[in-house]
Amino acid sequence: MNRSGAWTITIVFGVIILIPSLLGFAMKFGELITLTKNVSDSGGFAITPVVNYLLASLGFFCLLMWAALNGMFRDLEQPKYNMLENERELDRNV
Amino acid sequence: MATLTIPKTQSVYTHEELVDEKIIKWYFAAALTFLTTSMLAGLLVSLQLIRHNPFAGIELFSPGRWRMVHTNAVAYGFLANGFLGCLHWAIPRLTLQPVLDRRLSWFIFAAWQAVVGATAAGILLGEAQGLEWGETPVWVDPVAQLGLMLVALNFGTPIARMKGPMYVTLWYFMAAFIWTPLTYAMGNFIPEYFVSGTSAGAVGGLFIHDLVGLFVTPLGWGLMYYFVPILIKKPIWSHGLSLVGFWGLAFFYPLQGIHHFLYTPIPMFLQYGAVVSTIAVELVVTTVIINFFGSIWGNWSIVRTNLPVRYFYTGMVFYFLTCLQCSFQVTLTFQKIIHFSDWVVGHAHMVMFGVFSMWIMGMMIYLFPRLLKREWASQSLLEWHFWLSTVGLAVMAGDLILLGLFQGWSWAALEPWDASTEFSVPFWAIRAIAGLAMFGGLIALITNIFKTLKAASANA
Repeated sequence: MNRSGAWTITIVFGVIILIPSLLGFAMKFGELITLTKNVSDSGGFAITPVVNYLLASLGFFCLLMWAALNGMFRDLEQPKYNMLENERELDRNV
Repeated sequence: MATLTIPKTQSVYTHEELVDEKIIKWYFAAALTFLTTSMLAGLLVSLQLIRHNPFAGIELFSPGRWRMVHTNAVAYGFLANGFLGCLHWAIPRLTLQPVLDRRLSWFIFAAWQAVVGATAAGILLGEAQGLEWGETPVWVDPVAQLGLMLVALNFGTPIARMKGPMYVTLWYFMAAFIWTPLTYAMGNFIPEYFVSGTSAGAVGGLFIHDLVGLFVTPLGWGLMYYFVPILIKKPIWSHGLSLVGFWGLAFFYPLQGIHHFLYTPIPMFLQYGAVVSTIAVELVVTTVIINFFGSIWGNWSIVRTNLPVRYFYTGMVFYFLTCLQCSFQVTLTFQKIIHFSDWVVGHAHMVMFGVFSMWIMGMMIYLFPRLLKREWASQSLLEWHFWLSTVGLAVMAGDLILLGLFQGWSWAALEPWDASTEFSVPFWAIRAIAGLAMFGGLIALITNIFKTLKAASANA
């Protein structure tokens, strides 16, 4: 499969799976925030773990984008050969 | 296709310039000291459960406090020291760059031992913080937090200096250096100073689970991806698949902690989210296991002949079992039965000892001869260590998991609590015997280290 075909399939699957999932999550999370605003005591207990998760995931999503844009996934298998070659080189000099 | 890899000629350092072998020996010595402490504390608690506590009535030796010493000494004393020792070997050799500063390494080593020692002393003197696995006294927390950030700086610098696509191990390490200080801060500061009640409980659940998944797991798997190919002398089956495992962990793991709080006031869609993400992680784990077993396919005899590889793959089998168990036990149906039971204790031992301790032992067994420039003094003691540890752990985990089911069914049948403690005693006796076997294995390893050291110094 050529590069543009692979990208098309990835994007199509991404849209089909991710958009409904994100919409569903955002809707439920929005309902939760509305609910916690309407109660007299703190409703933050339900928000805290989700915010933790979102912050952690956002950081890693940025890292994933950075890695992809900087060519980290261009040659997926080469690093495993380099690692072993470097090991052999280091041990040769011991 | 363009290849953006580092040419191996970029390394201008020799092994001696890259790796501080002395600090690795000290880390391993500290790790084994804390493991001995932890196992003795575990034995003390197991004697209490079978009503033979030799220190009954002495506050300083109360099992409640020694149980916390047991869990903290394993997490921060054994696993952290063991991993730090291995990282001092792996990171400079992988990045072909030394750590940021060797003096900083020694400062971190000394500070970390002070943190773990102060934690043990604080717990025994009744200063424990009310957070499972985060009982580190509040006055130690800022020091521990600073120590973790310095670790990230010291090891993160050589990784940041690398150019081009990184080997999967470095992805795991980099993530661990980000996740661990964040997890520690979240668990130790948010419930203490910012939120309370159910909110603090929910954060506590995230902390316990993230400590396993975002501190121990990435370091453990990262080191496996490094050591296994070296020992079996061939690359990992698929580097692409290994990256699927890493990113799967990154996105699915952080939501899991809520599965510790099923049937609580936390909204059900979040509880379901935690259940689904836990099951998703099992699928990710399967890809990792397939990758490692694909790597060794056709060369199974190495598991028999090469002891470190045997430790590694035994740990992987236990890892798969614990994750499979996890994907069932997080369902609401299972939780009804097993919550608060000894099933959970069996599960925790299978993860912490069966997987990560076995991996650290395997790495120590590989590295000690290289560090001491001498073969092990006794192969038979190594075999004793492996079999006592493996069989002891399998018996202990099986015993506690079975007991957990019996306890859960007993409670579900509304039998009196006392009845469940009565029928648990024989199971707890088996658990104490299994623990003794595992401790015997540790004694065999330590004896072997001393014999090897003695032989090394005699030959020097």
